[in-house]
Amino acid sequence: MISRARLRRAVRRETIGVDVGAALNLVGALVKYLSLAFLFPAAIALGYGESPWPFVAAGAITAASGLALELATRGKETVRAREGFLVVALTWACAAGFGALPYLLAGESQLANPANAFFESMSGFTTTGSSVLTDIEALPRGVLMWRQFTQWLGGMGIIVLALAVLPRLRVGGRQLFESEVPGPEVGQLAASIRETARRLWIVYIALTGTLAALLFGYAVAGVDDRMSLYDAVAHAFTTMPTGGFSPQAESLGAFGGATQWTVIVFMLVAGTNFALLYALFARGRGRALLRDEELRVYLGLVVLVSSVIVAELVAEGILEGEAAARHGLFQAVSILTTTGYASVDFNEWTALAAVAIVGLMFLGGSAGSTAGSIKVVRHLLIGKSLRRELDLAVHPEVVAPLRFSARPVDEKTLRAVVAFVLLYVGLFAAGALALTIDAAIENRAVSPFEAIAAAATTLGNVGPAFGFAGPFGSFEPFSNFSKAVMIVLMWLGRLEIVPVLVLFTRRYWRT
Amino acid sequence: MKIVVIGAGQVGSTVVEALHDEHELTVIDLDGSRLGPLSYRHDVSTIEGNGATRSVLLEAGIKEADLLIACSSRDEPNLIAAMLAKKLNPDVRAVVRATEVEYLEAWHERQLDVDLVVSSEIETAYAVSRTLGVPAARQTDVFAEGQVQIVEFDVEQTAGDHAVIGRPLREARIPADSKVASIIRGDSAVVPRGDQSIQPGDRVIVIGSPRAAQEWSSIIAGDRPRLDDVVVYGAGRIGVAVAEHLLRQGIRVRMIESDRDRARLVAEKLPDARVFNATGIDPDFLERERIGQSRAAIFAMRDDAKNHYAATLARIHGVGFTIAIVHEPISIEVFEQAGVDVAVNPRQLTAEELVRFAHDPRTQQVAMLEGDRYEVLDVTVRPESRLVNTRFRDLPMTGSLIGAIVREGKAIFPHGEDVLLPGDRVIVFTEARRAAEVEQAL
Repeated sequence: MISRARLRRAVRRETIGVDVGAALNLVGALVKYLSLAFLFPAAIALGYGESPWPFVAAGAITAASGLALELATRGKETVRAREGFLVVALTWACAAGFGALPYLLAGESQLANPANAFFESMSGFTTTGSSVLTDIEALPRGVLMWRQFTQWLGGMGIIVLALAVLPRLRVGGRQLFESEVPGPEVGQLAASIRETARRLWIVYIALTGTLAALLFGYAVAGVDDRMSLYDAVAHAFTTMPTGGFSPQAESLGAFGGATQWTVIVFMLVAGTNFALLYALFARGRGRALLRDEELRVYLGLVVLVSSVIVAELVAEGILEGEAAARHGLFQAVSILTTTGYASVDFNEWTALAAVAIVGLMFLGGSAGSTAGSIKVVRHLLIGKSLRRELDLAVHPEVVAPLRFSARPVDEKTLRAVVAFVLLYVGLFAAGALALTIDAAIENRAVSPFEAIAAAATTLGNVGPAFGFAGPFGSFEPFSNFSKAVMIVLMWLGRLEIVPVLVLFTRRYWRT
Repeated sequence: MKIVVIGAGQVGSTVVEALHDEHELTVIDLDGSRLGPLSYRHDVSTIEGNGATRSVLLEAGIKEADLLIACSSRDEPNLIAAMLAKKLNPDVRAVVRATEVEYLEAWHERQLDVDLVVSSEIETAYAVSRTLGVPAARQTDVFAEGQVQIVEFDVEQTAGDHAVIGRPLREARIPADSKVASIIRGDSAVVPRGDQSIQPGDRVIVIGSPRAAQEWSSIIAGDRPRLDDVVVYGAGRIGVAVAEHLLRQGIRVRMIESDRDRARLVAEKLPDARVFNATGIDPDFLERERIGQSRAAIFAMRDDAKNHYAATLARIHGVGFTIAIVHEPISIEVFEQAGVDVAVNPRQLTAEELVRFAHDPRTQQVAMLEGDRYEVLDVTVRPESRLVNTRFRDLPMTGSLIGAIVREGKAIFPHGEDVLLPGDRVIVFTEARRAAEVEQAL
């Protein structure tokens, strides 16, 4: 007789349905290639006469780890759809982990705590923009540029980049792609995923280059005397991915009106569906842009919310004239697109403005953009679905497919959208609760509103919160546990929850 | 003329019935049992076999044929037969019956090398909406790109004294741009001379402009308000075609479909229609959705018996005007007995459309009103016709009537002093047996 326990164990071993080895092999390969990214900050450090060793060492460790992982799982090179979630979730965790190495190796006291380094790195790759730094400008140029660069890599997605350039991912890339690219329905730009990924990156690079050139132009032309080539590139790197890191302590508040207006426009563009941008730039199809329902609602929301904020600023006498319009619009766009820049310290604005800004954290830009959070399309579909529920309450037999941009939305997509929003809200609530409880246990001065804003801003990959973690503040006062909670929230938020959360279900691992 | 007909079903036999007198017909069908009765009833030769093959087409004498009518119930064999026929004999004209609207669209865009594609769905949709556009009309046909209509009315038994009804025609206030083409009283037709009058219970056939047709309908029907809400039972291909057509005219359409997936598909295809997933015979549903308040209902489900039941129920709930799409010819009488206002037979409509093409090549449209008793011809006047330059009042009255002339693209409704010019397109209303005679005279 076989004992019951042995039988159960035997059964369990046989029913693992995920090829972990294959997933790790691919993750190893991706980590190996990621090591190349450290060359860029190393060069910057050299250029500014700083030590390149933190980057060289981090690159070497990353390459060695990736290679080791790849070799350990040799012979398992085929990844199938099932492994996609695992690969994507692990790759992002690894990227943030290895990306934290330069912070630790640089010997900066602000980032010496591993939790701080990991937080900063995760905030970078997930394009959140929350920071534990208290004195940003004290850091070396190379380290600051690495912060900016991690956001740029994370914005369009490291896996999308890998899909575009690595021949190995020619097959089975769709699952990876869909897990990483934000939005309920992935608009495909070309027949193959590989070509789609390549086009997305081309648009992304072109826009980043344009913004950097414009900002540098302001410096050369004397429009903005605080702008420099370094700042132009650094801010282009964090505007297009809707990241929000800035090497300046005062974020965009350090620059003049012209720079701020330009950044407003590019933040709006970064929050637009890149498939639409591609259609506009490559094919000259501007009309598709206007016909897109999500874009119209997105722009409408920007106008609506910014006018509320501007009106509040003027009414309360905080700002007036062009300054009120510029700062009101800047903050609205920055938060709605989940960028997280600040042009002034909106911490000091009124309660109404604060509530409006936290509300904006739940909107997010368009699907298929680099923005985080719930995204306009999901709000739209939820709204339409609720309206249909009211219709069905009166007319139970009616068959009314939801439409989006005149195209019918299938019920499966709708179900996924509803599930996503519920998960999102649930995770936000759990996160806010965890932060509040932890603050009480650790006896730290975190108000409930600050905890709520911190949970919303990290899950939505926005950046600034309120209070001490406000736009010019720092997340440093949070305990290590709270930082860990927010690291997880950022990770979940960037990958749109599902690819991470399925890993914690038994059904995923079983055959 | 030598004509090859593929398909001896309902459409095929109606076509044969209409054409066998004047033309030499060969009928092909896969099912030999359908051919037997046809060849006994009419003088036609028959071939049992697949009409979409070269051997059978050649056996049917396609090389000497002038016209191929491919009207089996399946689209693709019809199209293949037509295309093969065109290759075997470049001079043959080919008309094809197709149920798929896509084929009709492809043909309109000249991507199918056949002379005419007739879609039962579209013909039915036109028939239904024409009937609804002029609520009292039994049947309406449109000529000269819609500039000329022929409308058939039943005058109600109870119609009282009237500016038109019960008065000699020369005194009656007949709407401008229209003519009474025929009055049918019981089994016989009355030639509408000036001293005749329209009586209650008559069936009147009128030729005129669309506006005149509208005026006629309000004369006959009294002033019914314009149609704004229609219920279509059954979202099959015919139901969808009808709904699409009505929606295009700005009429609110509700559709009832019992199959869940089909309902969803149609709801996706027609964003402006309200689609219900229901049987349509559940009294609670009818009550809740106030189906009885809609002005008209169209019954386009697959089963005549179901349509019959649903139509009766809808009438009980108060639907004012009911139109049934029938599949078996016998059902028309059943529906009429049940009080359904109009019964539309898609196969009959298709056959009519196919037969139109078989007449004189110059004839663009031939409607068959009142079974086969009357035909409407659309003919271009030849310069050598002896009727050219004759005043209308001097034209011989031979049971036919020129209802309208299309001159330089515009419709004219002629008076006694007008003359006929060469190149005029004339819309002639004539008894079927005189059709050939009229065509020759012009």
